[in-house]
Amino acid sequence: MFEFTVKRLLYSIPALLLVLIIIFGLVRFIPGDPAVALLGAGATNSQIEFLREQLDLNEPVSNQFLSYVSGLFQGDLGDSLRTKKPVMQELLSRLPATIELSIFAALLAIIIGIPIGIISSLFPNSLFDQLTRIFSLIGVSTPAFWLALILQIIFSLNLGWFPISGRVDVYSGASSTGGFLILGNLFAGNFSVAWNAFQHVILPASVLAAFYGATIARFLRSNMLEVINSDYIRTANGKGLHKFSIIFRHEIRNAILPVITVMGLKFAELLSGSILTETVFSWPGIGRFMFEAISVRDYPVVQGATLLFAVVYMVSSFLVDLLYGTLDPRIRVN
Amino acid sequence: MKGKFCFLFLFVLIFVIFSALVTVSADSDWEKTLVIAADSDPSCIDPALSKAYPVGSEIIINIFDTLVAWKSPDFSELEGRLAESWEISEDGTIYTFQIRPNIKFHDGSEVNAETIKSALQRTKDQSSYMNRYFGYISSMEAVDALTLKITLNQPISVFLSWLAMPEAAIVSPSSAESLGEEFANNPVGSGPYIFESWTPDTEVVLTANHDYWRGAPKIEKIIYRIIPDASTRRLELENGSVDISQQNGQLYSLPVEDIKAFETNPDIEVISLNSQIIRELAFNNNSTTSPVKDLKVRQAMAYAVDYDGIVDYLLGGTASRVMGPLTSNNWAFDPAILENSPYTYDPEKAIALLKEAGYNEGDLNFKLYTFQGTLWGMVATYLQDNFSKVGINVEVIQMEFPAFRDIVVSGNFDIYLGGRQPWYNDPEAHITIDYLSSLADTAMTLRMPLNAELDQKILDAQTATDLNERKAIYTEIQHELVSWVPGLYLFSPNVIIFKRAEVKGLVVNSAPPLNEYWSVYKEEK
Repeated sequence: MFEFTVKRLLYSIPALLLVLIIIFGLVRFIPGDPAVALLGAGATNSQIEFLREQLDLNEPVSNQFLSYVSGLFQGDLGDSLRTKKPVMQELLSRLPATIELSIFAALLAIIIGIPIGIISSLFPNSLFDQLTRIFSLIGVSTPAFWLALILQIIFSLNLGWFPISGRVDVYSGASSTGGFLILGNLFAGNFSVAWNAFQHVILPASVLAAFYGATIARFLRSNMLEVINSDYIRTANGKGLHKFSIIFRHEIRNAILPVITVMGLKFAELLSGSILTETVFSWPGIGRFMFEAISVRDYPVVQGATLLFAVVYMVSSFLVDLLYGTLDPRIRVN
Repeated sequence: MKGKFCFLFLFVLIFVIFSALVTVSADSDWEKTLVIAADSDPSCIDPALSKAYPVGSEIIINIFDTLVAWKSPDFSELEGRLAESWEISEDGTIYTFQIRPNIKFHDGSEVNAETIKSALQRTKDQSSYMNRYFGYISSMEAVDALTLKITLNQPISVFLSWLAMPEAAIVSPSSAESLGEEFANNPVGSGPYIFESWTPDTEVVLTANHDYWRGAPKIEKIIYRIIPDASTRRLELENGSVDISQQNGQLYSLPVEDIKAFETNPDIEVISLNSQIIRELAFNNNSTTSPVKDLKVRQAMAYAVDYDGIVDYLLGGTASRVMGPLTSNNWAFDPAILENSPYTYDPEKAIALLKEAGYNEGDLNFKLYTFQGTLWGMVATYLQDNFSKVGINVEVIQMEFPAFRDIVVSGNFDIYLGGRQPWYNDPEAHITIDYLSSLADTAMTLRMPLNAELDQKILDAQTATDLNERKAIYTEIQHELVSWVPGLYLFSPNVIIFKRAEVKGLVVNSAPPLNEYWSVYKEEK
């Protein structure tokens, strides 16, 4: 186990370095200069040149790369060209919002997706199966911004059940704190703020869960159908095992393995931020930040965020591998 | 498995119970809090680092004071702010300001000639945006505690307008020095509001400065909520959870739908004001090879455009016509230019002029470069249709801004769709940068060719100290430009602000389109 972990960590170093080199080069290949993007349409060349000097953009790219990498070894991701703040601080201030949203989206998706997947596989081509198939298709193919808008109009504006956007009510006084608003305030005893933050997370989490949950449901259904027709299930049936025992101990356990891979990757995707959902719900997450950084060519932020996403993907696939071993003794390490 | 479900059940149960027990108190703070929806984080709230983005600059004018400012409600003359009065030497190079006594920065330090000098010097040294303007300052001297003398290296009549820009606001030098780079995150000024906090992508909070020299503001707390999506801003405003929403996205989107929706809503008022922004189709006037070097072609294209169609149909009345290089609300605008203006829709005349210039239907093919965004795309397509009716083929190319700027500045184009949003209230903000030939290759301009006479007039208007003299020169310039047809002046988008009916006392400035909230208050629900 220990050897496996160390090996995976060692493998990740060249992968990260490769990601770094590619992204460092790629962002500089995009036409347009950060100084131009930052100063806007009214700027003259002399203003742009002044800013280029200030931002050290006149340094040769090789020097920029070397100083960036040497900074990395000291845990310094550089400063944002746009906000002048350290990239690490910028990312860390937005990460809790994305993590909180991702967790709730994943929970919702699992709570809805797994039972639906199981039930429709048990009754294939039944009315329930047909209906969930339609809903899954809608879930997968509905544009997030549209679904978001519809949910906002129905559940916020008309019914008044949930707030329209943001992470917490501005009058609650908690919005300026950032961080993990639900759990943080729950543990700190600020129940009203935690509850308020919880109400805010429901709609954006539902939008993300629609896609994520539908994927899980469809994937689990088809895996379950494959497993149900396999020899050992026929044997188990022949042995006269109880129906529930067959479903939960044999079918699900075997069918869920590929689903976990998908769930792991999807969760990593959620953690990398979702631009549309975060934008529509004014969610101060990492996806929106990355999007804005790209549009003004904020090189250090794009680099830092990409590195972070790479790490998130690596960690999540590592965890999936560990989980695999736990769930399936046949592929347990050693 | 069982345990997990139990945990989840408990979790949900706890929230359900609390939902019954607690509600977030809202109404008590309602009257004293102003919630403003902004479309993005301020890029910066330190005047010296600001690059004239609407959100940051508006926060700046509410935290800081400038030496002078445009007087509301019509913003046609300057009034003293930190400066009580000022004198300009006869040659127009020495500005002597009498500073208002007994004003303090939010950190308690004193506002005086020395601190203002340090603040302006800091901006001059650090600001990439202001270096173009403050580059004219040759020296500054605190003559006594309340007298500041600024000497320019040449007379610049628009200097006071520059001092009224948010980017020229006065910071507290002692805080700027002690906080260093952190000053940008904890700005300290002397304005009506004190900076409290900034949570990235979430909100910026300001609180009232009770000791403000013009009197304490009526609103106790201003919260700028960052809501990037226009439809979400609209829903929040309808819901009453936002008091004011600004149409900052004028460059990219159209507020027409929102305005229509709000017209029937008694809770919401739409403020729509003429601005000094000009959107134009610019010719590459400096080109020696492009067909647009021929005046007849430029005139023909001017007659080919259905200007009223753009303003009334395409933009749903959210813009005004522009008849020349200045908007009609500019103090230097000369109505007499309308007599010779080619900016009327007459496709037959256009076809005749093209024939005279030697072009038949389909002979002219242009690429029309422009910004990304719905607004630009719609206007460009509309123009494409207008031009096709007189036999000119146009291909619309929308580009990301930096790449678009490269093309324009390099002069590698025939026509582009762009425009200018002046950040200070003076005709100079349009005329100098757009039409001075020496600036043709340095910015997004109309790339005028070398024309010693016109150039001299532009420079004279910049340096003349007498307002009437300036107006006379700008009148000549306008006439000359209109007969040259350097571009097609299409429209001027209005400054549009949506606010809840309970919000009173809001005075909207148009150049730059930023609001001061000192005088704003909310009426009882």
